[in-house]
Amino acid sequence: MMRGPHRSNPGASTARILIIDDEPQIRKFIDISLRSQGYATLLAGTGQEGLTLLATKGADLVVLDLGLPDKEGKDVLEELRQWSRVPVIVLTVRSGEDEKVALLDAGANDYVTKPFGVEELMARIRAFLRTMESGADEGPIFDDGVLRIDLVQRQVAVQGQIITLSRKEFALLSLLVRQPGRLVTQTQILREMWGPTHEEDAHYLRVLVAKLRHKLGDSASAPRYILTEPGVGLRFIARERQTA
Amino acid sequence: MGTEQTGQADALLREIKRQATGRLTVFLGAAPGVGKTYAMLARARELHRQGVDVVIGIVETHGRSETQTMLEGLPLLPRKKVEYQGRQLEEMDLDGLLARKPAIALVDELAHRNVPGSRHERRWQDVEELLSAGIDVYTTINIQHLESLNDVVHQITGIRVSETVPDAVFERLRDIRLVDLPARELIERLNQGKVYLPEQAAQALQAFFSPSNLTALRELAMQTVAEHVDADLREERAARGLEGISIQRHVLIAIDGRGHSEYLVRAGAMIARRRGAPWSVVTVETGRWADAALHTDEMNRATPALNKMARDEQQRLMEIDKAFALARNLGGETEVMHNTDVAQALLDAAAARDARSIVIGRTRERPIARLLNRTLTQQLLQRGARYELTIIGTPQARQRRPRLPDITGERPTWRELVLILLASLGAVGVAALAERTLGLQDLSMIFLVAVMLVASRTRMASAVMTAILCFLAYNFFFIEPRYTFLISAHRGVATVVLFLAAALIAGRLASRLRMQVVALRAANTHATAMQNLGRRLAKAADLGQVIAAGASVLQSTLHAEAWIRINEESGPVTSAGHLGEKDLAAADWTQRHGQASGRYTDTLTGSAWWFLPVSSDKDTLGVVGLRFPPNMGHLSFEQRRLAENMVEDIGQAALRTRLVSELELARVTGETERLRSALLSSVSHDLRSPLSSMIGAADSLARYGKDMGPEDRQSLLETIHVEGERLDRYIQNLLDMTRLGQQGLTLTRDWIGIDELVGSASRRLQRYEPNVRIEHEIPPDLPPIHVHPALIEQALFNVMENAAKFSPSGEPVRVQVQRTEDNRLQIDISDRGPGIPEQERRRIFDMFYSVERGDRGKQGTGLGLTIVQGIVGAHMGSVEALPGLEGKGTTIRLTLPWGGYSNQEAKEHDERST
Repeated sequence: MMRGPHRSNPGASTARILIIDDEPQIRKFIDISLRSQGYATLLAGTGQEGLTLLATKGADLVVLDLGLPDKEGKDVLEELRQWSRVPVIVLTVRSGEDEKVALLDAGANDYVTKPFGVEELMARIRAFLRTMESGADEGPIFDDGVLRIDLVQRQVAVQGQIITLSRKEFALLSLLVRQPGRLVTQTQILREMWGPTHEEDAHYLRVLVAKLRHKLGDSASAPRYILTEPGVGLRFIARERQTA
Repeated sequence: MGTEQTGQADALLREIKRQATGRLTVFLGAAPGVGKTYAMLARARELHRQGVDVVIGIVETHGRSETQTMLEGLPLLPRKKVEYQGRQLEEMDLDGLLARKPAIALVDELAHRNVPGSRHERRWQDVEELLSAGIDVYTTINIQHLESLNDVVHQITGIRVSETVPDAVFERLRDIRLVDLPARELIERLNQGKVYLPEQAAQALQAFFSPSNLTALRELAMQTVAEHVDADLREERAARGLEGISIQRHVLIAIDGRGHSEYLVRAGAMIARRRGAPWSVVTVETGRWADAALHTDEMNRATPALNKMARDEQQRLMEIDKAFALARNLGGETEVMHNTDVAQALLDAAAARDARSIVIGRTRERPIARLLNRTLTQQLLQRGARYELTIIGTPQARQRRPRLPDITGERPTWRELVLILLASLGAVGVAALAERTLGLQDLSMIFLVAVMLVASRTRMASAVMTAILCFLAYNFFFIEPRYTFLISAHRGVATVVLFLAAALIAGRLASRLRMQVVALRAANTHATAMQNLGRRLAKAADLGQVIAAGASVLQSTLHAEAWIRINEESGPVTSAGHLGEKDLAAADWTQRHGQASGRYTDTLTGSAWWFLPVSSDKDTLGVVGLRFPPNMGHLSFEQRRLAENMVEDIGQAALRTRLVSELELARVTGETERLRSALLSSVSHDLRSPLSSMIGAADSLARYGKDMGPEDRQSLLETIHVEGERLDRYIQNLLDMTRLGQQGLTLTRDWIGIDELVGSASRRLQRYEPNVRIEHEIPPDLPPIHVHPALIEQALFNVMENAAKFSPSGEPVRVQVQRTEDNRLQIDISDRGPGIPEQERRRIFDMFYSVERGDRGKQGTGLGLTIVQGIVGAHMGSVEALPGLEGKGTTIRLTLPWGGYSNQEAKEHDERST
């Protein structure tokens, strides 16, 4: 079934989100929340139903629960990936990072672990839909008032002070900043920065992230910009612009 | 290619092993007095100054002041006092040194023989133990003490050195340093009295110190050092894969124990070592001599000739044993083969080892055999064209092979005499009867048959005797003139020759046959014993049985008392009682070092037991002790080999039982682990699902409530409520499960109508699943049942909830109640869902079955049906899964007895409880 947005939201074009979950109560609250924020929703209770809806009606983003009565969520994901590149956010009750990595490898773009706050899911959805709306990238310049990153000039400034980053550090930062709010897996980063032969060498990354955080004045324990998803990957938190 | 890589791997392994254990540095001298100890101490002082932890284990200064001064300042381990035959002697304190564990220990005179009663017979064994403990050792040795050079030194100097050190010790060699002194200077030192010589040996040694001897020994020492440096380099290069090492082909050394076997082993080993090839020593038992050896225990009855043969045979076996021991010391393999054809056996052995060379000793001259191409050398040359044949000349002519006693050899036994007489008399009798019908020439055939008969039954000697006897009888009774021994010349001579020829041929045939039988029997004894052991061990299910079976077979086969200890489990008890403190110490030593000890060995010889290690690939599993009768001073190679092979098999069996029990343990642990993780994942899954809904709904309300319409808000509030109740249900299930799992579940029974229970469960279900349609079919006249109402209601609810979960929307859940013919209550709950494959119907009652299918069975803990089974089982009822109505879906059938009690009892129960 398809349901329109609860109220018209003049800012956002009505993106359509497909929710595949067999728990009616979860389906319900996600549906209500999304509609209240001006999105259109499609609801499916089984994997097959979800795939059919996506094929016939289309969606800008899919929220997929892993535990479905008719087929494994992972199978649904693999089937879906054969013909669609729509962003998929997976809902899972499993918290092992091996599982998460396997899911991301299977084609999921991000995940949310149950139980979750609705804002957490919403932030992930927004991160995907925002990049789609504004074309490929956020633009060459990121600026939240404290941190300013100019991807074209290759210049990074903290509190107005220009800091020097090594080539690798800048490469990592730009890789993350290009997809704010989105999870970038460790494998992805390693492959992109060191080549496919170094996909296992996570310690390179650990050292590099530590240095980068230090230079940005960020900390691992209370991250402002670079968030570690342990064992899975990194996420750049784009915050609202602070008016200084 | 493959060989090369294997070679490299081997070399690397050796290198690693060498690095893990202590390393040996040898100060080698050509003769006493060249200053080895001095050089060693000088090096030690240097190291000590650099702060290396050097300790002197033992150093003999022989009262020389120069050496004495070198000792000053170096840490010295006090010597151990040993009392031997009333005298106080001093020895190195091995245990003290092991406990002290220095980086480097100085141990002088590697070839030294320890005072009897010490742990090891020889000092080089002490050094091996130190090395094994990871302590580096500096030691000194003179060239003539090297095992492999023993013969050469003997040839040069004419002195046989008895205190030799096996070359295998040098395997852990790190460094070899030649302490050199020109012969002239050494003699000068000797003349100045600077060289210590034991007084009693001084005279003999004076001859030893001749300039020509010293020069030759010096040469030998230099050669040895060069060889070892060479080998070192080769090994290191091989380890680094720098060099395609030559394809190492085996060198096979054949010995027969008839003189100079040890010489042959040394010579062959030297050839192999020079080529860097592996080597082995074999001997072939033809059985010809085993026959004689078998008679040793009948010594009293045996004739002197046999007696001598038996002694010779014993000596031969001992020589082979010694040669084999030497071969093992030098690092070779050994094997005894059984075959009447020596050449073929050797060729087989060579083929089995992929050998390239066969080394044999020069055999004695056998002109006739050579003419017939029958010598071993000729046969090997003919049949083994692929092999390189090396014939080693021995310093002295080798012992002649003793001839089998035949014509002149020995007197026949009584049994043989009787047989000879009977055969001859019989022949005379038959001939007398046949005389009327047969001609004279034909009569001789009868006697010939008699000779053949005896020959086939006994040995050649008896056959010859029969031949003579028959000839005489034939002559006496049948040849004219009768009743005289006179014969007319030409006929008589022909008869004698014919008889003797027949006797010889038949006798030879017969004795060869017997030899083969004996050879086969010897090989067979071994094979049968091993087979018997294998059969017994195969039946042993645990370690205790392996020990019992192993000990009993060892005892019966070797005629020795056996005791086995593996993994702290030991047996049999009868033998354990005979073990003294000394014996146990030896057993422990064997266990620790993985080497034999006790009697028949060089280590801890005070014990009457012979202890063998039971080894696996990695470690020593245990110890087998064997106590042979005290009068058995010597252990034959056969017995030794049999014992070792049997112990090996026992080890394998023990390992097998250990693996089996480890596997079983792993399986049980795995099962428990699987259940545990299933429970965890189930609990986390089923608690989280409702929690997710509740948190999500509450969060949505809090954040976006103002953006929603009133219906949506109401709907979210309902979600929170419904999911809260669901959570409560899960928790109830878990609690029920815990109660059912523990033994303490007590049923509080009451009389209640089944319709009431079904109704209550249905109402409850409809609260959570409003869309589910439930159809009841309950006969109106059913009497009430006597059960624990709340539990049965829970069971019904669980089954119905399960059915509702799998029902397609719109299809009803049917509840049919009826009374069975054996007066039980039967409740069928059916859905029209996908159904359950037959093979899985039993499993659905397993705990967490649904969980194992992954997230798919998400709507229950997987505990639901297990709980049903528990509850119904507690009421003496049963649960089963059946195909659904009209072949669609599933029917779960609960069968309950009407009550645990008869009505009367129930009433009493009620009265008591009120």
